[in-house]
Amino acid sequence: MTTARLLLIEDDEETVEAISGYLGSRGYEVRRAATGPDGLLQASAGAVDALIIDRLLPGLDGLTILKTLRQNGIRTPAIMLSALGSVDERVEGLRAGGDDYLGKPFALAELAARVEALLRRPTIGPETVLRAGPLHLDLVDRSAHRGGRRLDLLPREFKLLEYLVRRAGQTVTRGMLFEEVWNYKFVPRSNLVDVHMSRLRRKLNGLGEEELITNVRGIGFILDPAA
Amino acid sequence: MTSWLVAPWQALTRSTALRWTLAIATGFTAIALVLFGFIYWETAVYERKTIDVALAEEAQRLAALPLGAVLAAIEGWIANDVHATRYAGVFDADGHRLTGNLLSVPDDLAYDRRPHAATFKGIDRDLDGDNPEPVRAIGWRSDDGGHIVIGNDLDALEDMKAIILRALGLALLPTIALSLIVGSALAKRAQRRIGSMHRAIARIMQGQLGERLPVRGTTDSLDRLATGVNRMLDEIQNLVEQVRGVGDNIAHDLRTPLTRVRTRLERGREELHTVEALGDCMDRAIVSVDQALAVVSAVLRIGQVQHHARRALFGPVDLTAIARDAFELYEPLAEEQGFCLSLEAGLPAIVTGDADLLLEALGNLLENAFKFAPAGSPVTLRVQPSVGRFVLRVEDRGPGIPLEERDRVLRRFYRSEKSRTIEGSGLGLSLVAAVADLHGFDLAILDASPGCAVDLICSPRSPERHPV
Repeated sequence: MTTARLLLIEDDEETVEAISGYLGSRGYEVRRAATGPDGLLQASAGAVDALIIDRLLPGLDGLTILKTLRQNGIRTPAIMLSALGSVDERVEGLRAGGDDYLGKPFALAELAARVEALLRRPTIGPETVLRAGPLHLDLVDRSAHRGGRRLDLLPREFKLLEYLVRRAGQTVTRGMLFEEVWNYKFVPRSNLVDVHMSRLRRKLNGLGEEELITNVRGIGFILDPAA
Repeated sequence: MTSWLVAPWQALTRSTALRWTLAIATGFTAIALVLFGFIYWETAVYERKTIDVALAEEAQRLAALPLGAVLAAIEGWIANDVHATRYAGVFDADGHRLTGNLLSVPDDLAYDRRPHAATFKGIDRDLDGDNPEPVRAIGWRSDDGGHIVIGNDLDALEDMKAIILRALGLALLPTIALSLIVGSALAKRAQRRIGSMHRAIARIMQGQLGERLPVRGTTDSLDRLATGVNRMLDEIQNLVEQVRGVGDNIAHDLRTPLTRVRTRLERGREELHTVEALGDCMDRAIVSVDQALAVVSAVLRIGQVQHHARRALFGPVDLTAIARDAFELYEPLAEEQGFCLSLEAGLPAIVTGDADLLLEALGNLLENAFKFAPAGSPVTLRVQPSVGRFVLRVEDRGPGIPLEERDRVLRRFYRSEKSRTIEGSGLGLSLVAAVADLHGFDLAILDASPGCAVDLICSPRSPERHPV
């Protein structure tokens, strides 16, 4: 995979440094725009794989940049960053054409996981069967198997597993799971997702079987299909 | 008028007490005048009737007599008039007086043998001389075409009028004086109450928020107004105390985790020498910083929830479905922490609201139950209809909340001393209260003996129509 190029439109020097450093060390090429107009210009030129746009910018605010880009047919995936973390803000950001929304303050690992998810977005196509390692999910009759063993999952657990399988090998954060699997817009206590995950794990792992889902310290989970 | 005179006069007339006094005095005087007027009028009518009846009887008697006898009878009638009130005259067809004390035939009288008012000019009467005198009189024509007239003057009526006017004059002065005294006493009393209210308001304005307007415990309008204002003051005092507490509480909640971070980092820098140990130290510092951030997020969140613009997002929501969602979401957590969470919900319970906020509120109530109730105890989530409303109840077997603290914990940003030692932002109930307030729902904390029940009492009507 070639180096993914990200455009970070953000005016706060310290935030820029932290994000560039963190994502740079993970193999991304991070370009930078410090003002709204500059960001719009660079984003319009194309040649970037994903955008990270701060909501409040000098010159032109993030929402307007996104709307303008989308109107001009530029579909580069974008994450909105904002200190205004409210539900309505999030809805507005997504409505303006953002693919994801992250409220400040956030963990850098959370941003990295979301950028990765954005770049490797699974195409939700016409497939009716998902596979990852020994896992086999039938989306039509909502059944799941590990090897030959049928897994007895509740509907929500099936949805959770489906989400993990679609993103096999990627880190998924608790926030992502909560937004995508539960569809809730508030931030719950962190171990709420964990207890659901440990239930799913217990059902997934038969006697002596390898652990498929591993914890990513402090941030979320990863389903490793190679396990 | 010059200004030095105008100003005090204006001040005087503007004074409520004086206006009241004058109004009351004027009222009493008017009543006295009307009363005396009525007495005079009634008496006058009676007196006139008495005269008329006497005249009519006399006329009837005279009419039955032959003319010669009439002359004698009239002379006798006048002669018997000790009070000199009677007038009479008998005139021939040419208008010559045959007898009586009238100068000429009165021309303003109808000769129909009925009593009328007329004006007579008398003779042989040295009382009024030639002055015409108002009388009641009866006249009729004699058989030979002459006129016969008898009448009675109205001196008695005049005397009575004088008596009544004198009585009125005598009575009016005390009436006005008395009404001035009563009026000023009443006005002074009202002024005193208003004055004490003014003083109370001045004290409140100086910052004594606990001060209240004096109330006498009656149902008069001033008392009702004062009671209303006092209730408003209760609410204002409540809000001001909340605001005062907010800063302290937030500072306290932030200081604890931040102090922990500082200590950890300081000690880590001094004492730890391996990368692994430092990493561990930093991880723990991050956890503490996250805790501080959670407090900030919770405060901001409550602020967002309180924003009434959120009502624009309201729609019909099913409380039963929300309770099911909450149950599904929290049941694994309950199990992990050793609680037996059960759901009691049946038919759909539709209200107007925001499903996300209601779920969040319910989540906070459940998390509180898990925080405070002893592990292994049952926690129940229930949706039940109750007289036109729905009650969303979370019941646990925890220690509950003391009666005297119940009101306070529902106030935004209040934290009981007990809850400070428990992990979390501690603003859970405040958020629930904010969500309830936004929806126009009532929040109640009850004894479930043993344990504690928190009720969210949901009215199906839309909160826009609900007085907030």
